[in-house]
Amino acid sequence: MNILYVEDNKINAMVMNRMLSKNASKVMIAENGPTALEMVKKSTLDLILVDINLGLNQMDGCELLKRFKKLDMLENIPIYAVTAYAMPGDAQKFIKIGFDKYFSKPVNFDKLLSAISKVKQKIN
Amino acid sequence: MAFTGQEFVTLTEKTMLYLIIIDKEGNVHYANKRSETLFQLPGDQIIGMSIRDFIIDEEENKFEEIISKCCNLKSPQNYTFRFSPASNTGILTLKFDFILYNDLIYASGIDITEENKEHYSLISLSKLTKTGAWYYNPISEEMFFSKECYNLHDLEPGTPITMEKAISYYRPESRPKIWKFLEDLINKKPTDYTEKIVTEKGTEKWIRVLGEPIIHNDKVVFINGSFADITERYNYLEKVKYNEETKRLALKGIRSGLFDHHFDINATYYSTDFKKMLGLPLDKDFISTDLLKKLIHPDDLDDSIKRHIKGLKKEGHHYFNHYRIKNKKGDYRYYEIYGYRKKDKNNKTTRMIGNLIDVHQRKLNEHTIAENHSRLLAMINNGFAYTVLLNTSGEILMADQDSLKIIKRDFNVDPTTEPTLFIEVMPLNFKTSFFHEFNEALKGHTVKKEIERTTYKGALQWLESKYTPIKDEENNVNSILVSFHDITEQKTAEIARKEAHIKEQELSNLKSNILSNFSHEIRTPLNGIVTISNILLSGEENPEEREKLSAYLDESKERLLATINNLSHFSEIETIQKNLNYVEADMNYTIETSYREYRHFANSKKLKYVLKLDEDCPSALIDEDIFRTAINNIIHNSIKYTDEGKVLVKVKGEKEKIKITIKDSGIGIGKDSLKKIFDPFIQESIGLSRKYEGTGIGLSLSKRYIEILGGKIEVISKLNQGTKFIITIPKNI
Repeated sequence: MNILYVEDNKINAMVMNRMLSKNASKVMIAENGPTALEMVKKSTLDLILVDINLGLNQMDGCELLKRFKKLDMLENIPIYAVTAYAMPGDAQKFIKIGFDKYFSKPVNFDKLLSAISKVKQKIN
Repeated sequence: MAFTGQEFVTLTEKTMLYLIIIDKEGNVHYANKRSETLFQLPGDQIIGMSIRDFIIDEEENKFEEIISKCCNLKSPQNYTFRFSPASNTGILTLKFDFILYNDLIYASGIDITEENKEHYSLISLSKLTKTGAWYYNPISEEMFFSKECYNLHDLEPGTPITMEKAISYYRPESRPKIWKFLEDLINKKPTDYTEKIVTEKGTEKWIRVLGEPIIHNDKVVFINGSFADITERYNYLEKVKYNEETKRLALKGIRSGLFDHHFDINATYYSTDFKKMLGLPLDKDFISTDLLKKLIHPDDLDDSIKRHIKGLKKEGHHYFNHYRIKNKKGDYRYYEIYGYRKKDKNNKTTRMIGNLIDVHQRKLNEHTIAENHSRLLAMINNGFAYTVLLNTSGEILMADQDSLKIIKRDFNVDPTTEPTLFIEVMPLNFKTSFFHEFNEALKGHTVKKEIERTTYKGALQWLESKYTPIKDEENNVNSILVSFHDITEQKTAEIARKEAHIKEQELSNLKSNILSNFSHEIRTPLNGIVTISNILLSGEENPEEREKLSAYLDESKERLLATINNLSHFSEIETIQKNLNYVEADMNYTIETSYREYRHFANSKKLKYVLKLDEDCPSALIDEDIFRTAINNIIHNSIKYTDEGKVLVKVKGEKEKIKITIKDSGIGIGKDSLKKIFDPFIQESIGLSRKYEGTGIGLSLSKRYIEILGGKIEVISKLNQGTKFIITIPKNI
């Protein structure tokens, strides 16, 4: 199973990669939106995880989602928001703009991993 | 008759009778002594003269007639003739008996001159005065009319007349009154009446009838009366009566007085009613000028005298004056005096007749109108910013002075002297909707409209235009009052209120933003910490990896701590503000200290790190702690986001302030982000090194601190080219 994780915070990217890789998934990291857009064209993906705040002056996760939605190849690929924005109403806000699932930071891995295994089951 | 010529002659020598013998031709054959007075000639000279020559002309024919009657009928004749003697002694009236005897006529006459004078004068009087005489005998019911009476009835004299016939000349409705008159007379009551008759020829005449009963043995045996035509007099009297009535009514109707001023005696005649009104003495015909002067209002006296003197010298005959006169009640009333002057040969006024007209009510009305007009003007001038009164065609009837001034200035027309359509001179902003509002007002609605405009001087002004319909008694709109009320202050206040409300909302948004950002800033490192802990706890890593993970853990932990520290700084701002410790600080020294603090950091990034101080060593009154924190944050920020090139820190003293510039050649800040750079938590970066990643609260804190110290902070930046912060701090607060 191929997962793309878009995350600008290096430590988070690194440790998340560690956690997800343990479950026999192949994780690719993109530090920003443009890189992520390049990467989806080159690889076959099963799931995309997107951080929202991708840095000052940068395309944020919401904008990136919009761009992803325009790509045919990602038509049936679930895209989850994984973000530190976790004020009341944030979850609904991100679901509303089109994320398939929302996970707040610090990430509850039980929930995240269970969601990933469901995606995996579907593929199989 | 036993009568002989000789007897006639001898008997009559001494008599008072006039004895004359004439032949059939009228020639005198004999005249006695007495007759000489008739001819004014001696007796012998009279013989042979014609008697005709002595009879007045108009009776000559009558004489012929009598003589021929006497001769032909051979009967004595009796007639009265008037003679005019040769000498001018007046007319003699002689009553003659004529007897024919032996073909001669014997005339004996008596002098009735005196009696006849009365008779003739009565006849002429009767004719002249159109008065006739009548009598009535109630016993025999005999009615007599004198000749003039017949004339007055247009009847032929001698026509048989009865009382019934006489009364038939009166109008039917008056006849009972005439019978009553007769009855009164029979009852011994002298009486009279004036009535109208219709004569035989149908002429209407007014007559006056007098009657007087003659009483014998306590019984009315005869009634004498007169009958006079008074038509002319009656008509005249009626006319006079009518004129008098007209005059009285006229005088009663107006509160005016007629006057007749006589300059020779310096007094004036006033009509009675006027005198009554003013309480002037009624028994005096003339009122002295001095007395009138006392009644004139003291305020009007001098001017009215001036006008009086001038008026009398004027050319022509007319005169005009006006003043207030005190009436009986002690109130003053306004009078206007119109006169017509009579002048003498020297062009000097000698008499003036005219009337005083009470114009009090008119004056009061004029006064009220003038007062109301000025009140309206005052209202218009003081009540609103601009006020214009329009007629229903939209023309300006009246406007306040300011509006007039503007219209005159901008359009070069004067609405007070020439008809001006308001639409042509009104402010442009109002024009578009004018017709809508004007038509609504014509329908009777009051309409308001707010407009923003720029004044002549360029200031922003808010005006509220209000169209108020003005209705007449029948509730029809006859004019429209357009007022422009300056509501700039209200509007400004309203806008300020709205802005305050927006600010309040922004503040509230900011609060939730701060919270949200804090949450984000805490959750991000926490995510690292939690994840790393999970990995470490699973114990699957080799020692090398564990060490690496521990280092990550520390970094995340530090970032979390820094966030929390800054948060406490931020929340302490209020406390800081109250505990400021101002000192006079050397700016060169203060800035150099901060500069030195980050030299190591800048060197580690291999940046060109430059400090430029001011040679004049300016100093400023600051709280060193917070000032340094503010500067440090900015220097740190600049180095943090600059990966190559240089960072410059510069101090420059100005007249009243000091400028500190921190310029870098770093990543720069995008336009959109630049606006929010001082908002807490915004700043983030794609900088490769995450080691010094801040909480995003630093710049926001710097800004607040600088502002607390009375300074300001500006930022100029271009993406990928660098950023320049300029901090200005006053030397003294």
